[in-house]
Amino acid sequence: MLTRLKGGHVVDPANDRDGVGDVFIEDGTVVEAPAPAREADETIDCTGLVVMAGAIDIHSHIAGGHVNTARLLLPEWHRAFSSRPGETALSKVGWTTEETGLRYAEMGFTTVVEPAMAPSSALHAHLELADTPIIDKATLVVLGNDDLLLEMIRAGESDAAIADYVSWTVASSRALGVKCINAGGSAAFKENVRKFDFDDVVPDYGVSSRQIMKTLQSAVKTLGIPHPLHVHCNNLGVPGASSDAIEATIKAAEGDPLHLAHIQFYGYGTEGKRRFSSRGQKLAELVNATKEVTVDIGQVMFGQTVTISSDELRQFAGAKQASPGKSIIFDHEANGGGVVPMDYKKKSFHNALQWAIGLELFLLIEDPSRVFFTTDHPNGAPFTTYPDIFALLMDRGVRARWLEALPKSVAKMTSLPEIEREYTLGEIATMTRAAPARLLGTADRGHLGAGAVGDVSVYRPGDDKAAMFARAAYVLKDGDLVVRDGAVVKRKFGRALTLRPEPDKAMQTRLDRYFDDKYGLSSRWFEVPEGALGREEPFKVMPCRA
Amino acid sequence: METAWIDGKPASLEEALRAAGTLLGKARQPLVTGLRTDVAGVRAAFLLALRAGGIVDHAKSAGLYPFIAAARDGGAFLAAPGEMRRRADRVLIVGDEPATIGADLLRMLAETTPDLGVRSRGAGRSFMAVSRQTVTLPGGVESDHLDCASDDVVDLLGMVRAKLGGRRVGEGAVGDEVVETVARFLSEAGFAAIIFSPSEFGEIGTEQIFGLAEDLNQTTRASTLLVVADPDALGAALQATWTSGFPLRISHGRGEWEHDPALFSSERQIAKEGEADVVVYVDALAGADTSLPPPEKPTILIAAGSGQTSGAKVAFKVGAAGRDHDGVLYNARFGDFVATSAETKSELPTAAGILDALASQLGENAEKAA
Repeated sequence: MLTRLKGGHVVDPANDRDGVGDVFIEDGTVVEAPAPAREADETIDCTGLVVMAGAIDIHSHIAGGHVNTARLLLPEWHRAFSSRPGETALSKVGWTTEETGLRYAEMGFTTVVEPAMAPSSALHAHLELADTPIIDKATLVVLGNDDLLLEMIRAGESDAAIADYVSWTVASSRALGVKCINAGGSAAFKENVRKFDFDDVVPDYGVSSRQIMKTLQSAVKTLGIPHPLHVHCNNLGVPGASSDAIEATIKAAEGDPLHLAHIQFYGYGTEGKRRFSSRGQKLAELVNATKEVTVDIGQVMFGQTVTISSDELRQFAGAKQASPGKSIIFDHEANGGGVVPMDYKKKSFHNALQWAIGLELFLLIEDPSRVFFTTDHPNGAPFTTYPDIFALLMDRGVRARWLEALPKSVAKMTSLPEIEREYTLGEIATMTRAAPARLLGTADRGHLGAGAVGDVSVYRPGDDKAAMFARAAYVLKDGDLVVRDGAVVKRKFGRALTLRPEPDKAMQTRLDRYFDDKYGLSSRWFEVPEGALGREEPFKVMPCRA
Repeated sequence: METAWIDGKPASLEEALRAAGTLLGKARQPLVTGLRTDVAGVRAAFLLALRAGGIVDHAKSAGLYPFIAAARDGGAFLAAPGEMRRRADRVLIVGDEPATIGADLLRMLAETTPDLGVRSRGAGRSFMAVSRQTVTLPGGVESDHLDCASDDVVDLLGMVRAKLGGRRVGEGAVGDEVVETVARFLSEAGFAAIIFSPSEFGEIGTEQIFGLAEDLNQTTRASTLLVVADPDALGAALQATWTSGFPLRISHGRGEWEHDPALFSSERQIAKEGEADVVVYVDALAGADTSLPPPEKPTILIAAGSGQTSGAKVAFKVGAAGRDHDGVLYNARFGDFVATSAETKSELPTAAGILDALASQLGENAEKAA
């Protein structure tokens, strides 16, 4: 079937398109304009509307054991639990797998990456993703606190052996990339260490966070995994120490690609009478100058949320600020983790400055293809706040109004009031479409050129950018119209994008023995068989680099 | 091979599905319970409840609720068994149920010693039980026993917390020396593991145990290992949480998932005072359930056991997930879901297949009515 999206303002930076034109989709794939004589089977009039590829979120915690624990911990988040559902701060939170898929699609997002899948929770994460409708999904598997990797580094094993282990982990867990979270930090916390810097050494192993990060960065490159190592740095949220940690990590990229997650949480200094200040400007300058590095923001927005992280050390420390005052801390194999509710308040100097630091970073990092649009859902804010963030980036008048409502002391501590930049539609499309596809190595999406998947978002432009991005006029997923006027009209299931590296058979044998001897577990339990998910074609395999 | 019955008499699968669909279509308050099935079966059970406007619960959720209620009200410290096998140098066994329903876990810990951590490896693993019964561990591994009835354990742990916090401790049921012994045992651990069954101590007791772990973590490392009698109920609760936002005891009677731990409890609904007027009971894992609903509630039974058709209005015989067909099951030893291959492949239908067919039946009936 041939569908024609007719006469819209097509914004497709990957193909240098920024003007009125048509987009054609045939059998789920974008195609060149057909011969004039051929009539489309379906025509969607996009006159006056903005047409982009489906948006891609590279870092959003939407599935897995920790996410599910957060649902358990916060039943009051769910609207049905509330006596006044329409009036609660969280009534719009996409919280179940069902809501996650629908709410993302309504905003024009068609691919979302779960960025922290523990190898032992891989099947669980994929089961949740299989129940998440409409959108395509992907996962990053977490390494860097696991005994075997640390033991291999300690023993001086070869790069090839370590790469084989990483390859096995990616293949068995059906991941699209690799993440390390406070590398060595959870392992150190199990030894009762309460602060862990980039050059600190994990007790017993004698390996530093830096060594672990560099080892994984190298393995990812060796394996040709398109997405660079995705790093959650040490000392998240600690004034001064956080900014030192990210600076050291950026400098350690040493010319090879590295992605740094939710950098807003590392933009904190110790200046001022409250010993809490913005280092956003300095951090943005460092990112601008370090071309091999990409970042996402982790923007904070105001209201109740919950933080979910495999950074057990920092989550344990943060549990003292839990609001409401409860948290769940895990000690699992390799990674631990923590689920800590958080209520970011407009009246709080600290929370308001966090908000400002996030926007400083968005606006001061010059290249929109190296900075990615995230709230670290739900850690900085639920993904349902995205429309407001688009408005804040695209309209300095909106920023001024928000700043006006914050404590006066905040404006003095941030460069935000002086920043005049407003993101253009092209920059938004780069940041949320073209660049994420390149970063993830998913060339089949993020653009509207021939051969791309038929994932298209159509918006009704207007002065109110939040309204524009909250309710897409149309969304097509693989060529099917799934959203009209901000409401889902067709429910279907997307796929999980995975890599499929082929690890050495000797590594499988070694891991069979290792998991059995050390943990009393079968290595097969870490696998995600295709047939286990109960969906037709649950995966789409993406190529590794040659 | 007979696989379907109506009023105890053999019927074709189609006839039985039609009869079950009619029964569900007329129900004012359907209940889908039992829920002893794999992930595919639980997913299909939710779909059926959604279509039927029904309640969903696991028949044994009562054993979980002390944990669920305590964790969501006050938080928790939770560990994976594999990690504690490698790291825990001291194990506190709380109450009598770990020795029965957690015997495998205790055996694993007794047969191994910690090999990770400067603070925890090297000195072996010590066990202490605060329980009524003495705990016998395999291989002659010794466990110190402090005699304490279940009713007194929660008080004892409260006093241990007070002692650890430097607060005054009154004379309790077990005496100050016992309090001191337990406090020292835990606080001097490199990594302490506290094993208990939430159903033995209820919500308040469970909260006390999580609170003890939290207190210990201010100065050392500690966590808890839960033992539950029905791990598949825990799996169903996890699945219910991602599907509906709530850990079972949910209803779709008013067009969206609602949660009420008392009203939508399977035990209450199956009892005479329960509003449920038709019960879909799923018992499709190896080993038969013993808590089938009473005959006064018309029941659609989906069971893997033989000889379970009596008393059911409509009955289906299905394969047991993980035995007769592949399935994904919650594995307590792993602490998460595991894909499990069938021991021998059977031609029997799956519980998920029957539940999906029933959901389709309801959809067709609704279309006909329209």
